Amino acid sequence: MTENEKKMSAIVKPQDIEALIELFEASDWDEMHLEIEGLELFLSSDPKARIAVQPPHPTVAHAPASAHPHPTIPQGMGHLAPPPTPTQEVSSVPEGCIAVKAPNLGTFYRAPKPGAAPYVELGQSITADTEICLIEVMKLFTSVRAGTVGTIREICVNDAELVEYGQTLFYIETA
Amino acid sequence: MALNRLFIANRGEIAVRILRTAKRLGLETVLGVSEADRESMGSEMADRAVVLGPSPSAKSYLDERLIVHAAKMTGCDALHPGYGFLSEKAKLASLCEEESIIFVGPRPETIDVLGDKLSARTMALQAGVQTVPGTDHIATIVEAKHAAEQLGYPVVMKASAGGGGRGMFMARSAEELDISFGRASREAESAFGDSRLYMERFVERARHVEVQIVGDGDGTIVHFGERDCTVQRRYQKLIEEATSTALPSRLRTKLREAAIRITSFAKYRNAGTVEFLYDVDREDFYFIEVNSRIQVEHPVSEEVTGEDLIARQLHVAAGKGIGLSQADVQIRGHAIECRINAEDPFNNFIPAPGRITAWSPPTGEGIRLDTHARMGYLVPPFYDSMIGKLIAKGRDRSEAIERILRAIRDFRLEGPKTTLPLLSFVAAHTDFRENRITTRWLEDKGLPAFAGA
Repeated sequence: MTENEKKMSAIVKPQDIEALIELFEASDWDEMHLEIEGLELFLSSDPKARIAVQPPHPTVAHAPASAHPHPTIPQGMGHLAPPPTPTQEVSSVPEGCIAVKAPNLGTFYRAPKPGAAPYVELGQSITADTEICLIEVMKLFTSVRAGTVGTIREICVNDAELVEYGQTLFYIETA
Repeated sequence: MALNRLFIANRGEIAVRILRTAKRLGLETVLGVSEADRESMGSEMADRAVVLGPSPSAKSYLDERLIVHAAKMTGCDALHPGYGFLSEKAKLASLCEEESIIFVGPRPETIDVLGDKLSARTMALQAGVQTVPGTDHIATIVEAKHAAEQLGYPVVMKASAGGGGRGMFMARSAEELDISFGRASREAESAFGDSRLYMERFVERARHVEVQIVGDGDGTIVHFGERDCTVQRRYQKLIEEATSTALPSRLRTKLREAAIRITSFAKYRNAGTVEFLYDVDREDFYFIEVNSRIQVEHPVSEEVTGEDLIARQLHVAAGKGIGLSQADVQIRGHAIECRINAEDPFNNFIPAPGRITAWSPPTGEGIRLDTHARMGYLVPPFYDSMIGKLIAKGRDRSEAIERILRAIRDFRLEGPKTTLPLLSFVAAHTDFRENRITTRWLEDKGLPAFAGA
């Protein structure tokens, strides 16, 4: 153990780091940068964010695998091309808007049942309690509420598409 | 059954290990990850990674509905559960079945039967495999002495209603039985309102041995030799070997036969491990349990057989059978695996998550490293602390020990504290080299010596 490491371990314990990460996750901060006697801690909600100490690692492109027919595949799932990652969308947040993100992985539905009118349309005014879509996990449907007063500016996902945890579903222009 | 696209429901080194084989076999791969693993090595290797949920496992890796939904919606026809997490939960296997996704593992019913210690024990006895020998209720001291002579001293007596050690005692002779029997009955009576006692053989010096098997689901089983995982701390394995040179060869043959008997009886499907307790003094072994998954220590069996066990699992899962017979399995040499965990062995093994700031793994003949870590990797605080598994193979046990020792010492890893210093201490210890250890060795002798070194 180097002198520096000894010093660091005396000051910051793993539990402290864990607590900091928890604190960060619970907050609405975008970044946290902490330096204590040689220890540098950098937390960011943007997975692409890096500090200088970490060497860049090669970015492997997600090559779309060839489609193959599968009788049990629900519509639109034939190939593996991933949807745009939330990080790419972050940079293109429309002016004055906030994102509504998927609370977990699931299938996105705009309407309460097939054939019914969508919960919301572009340009519609909504309140925090307005239901804006459904997320289905194995036949269990959970509604997502807007969480803010405003206007629907963008619908980012097609009906019946798989969404991942944290993926942006809507952009809402706050009043 | 066609198996074209595989969903991997795990993380860390085992996700990377499964991905490596799946890609070699030309399968398309989808990895389900948590938020914390979004940027992991596995995410980069997989054709697609989907974020299941936030970092805590309960909301990602432990939610079987999220996982099966993700597998279905990404068009996967099979799912590999890895080890830990949901790998031995029958509900994941049955949910896959309901959705026509092949579960790369045993049938849900098999997982249920073997997951319950009592039903597994009953099954072992039905298959003619010995468990720790014991008796039914014993009422009198005369009966107790008779039973002890049948079982052989030392014996341990336990309260039928018991637990917490009350009414329990160990006896090395008829005299010791005399002294303790009455008191133990009274103790059981006052503690549980039930004075009945039963007797078991007491295994003073034990080794942990286990047999790797693969079954076709119809009763045909092929074994891939046994492993010895005697270096343990609180039932957590630190170092594993293949084969178990501590057992006389006639016993190794019997051990492998016993493993085949019980799994064949269960019509076991896919890869599994049959665990035994080896009684060093009596030179006898007893069935403990079957682990119905691929295990952490599977690489040592791969090294001595030259087999890819993940490929074998996928072969069975695709409905093509085991694809080889027992005669095809040739066991050569000796392999040792060390688990490198981000834990501080100088400070009661407290987890030490953190970022890796220096990373230069060893290379050389017979050295293998299974890991998802690399320079700059942040060991997250949410999951088990394994950084990787270092494996060395040699022509015999002493060559394997020399190689693993050199590899451990050459491993440059800075950032989180790791178990590397302890692994090096154990591998260099005379008791380990001379193979004189038992399952109590690390806690009773190894760790105190390490702390004092």
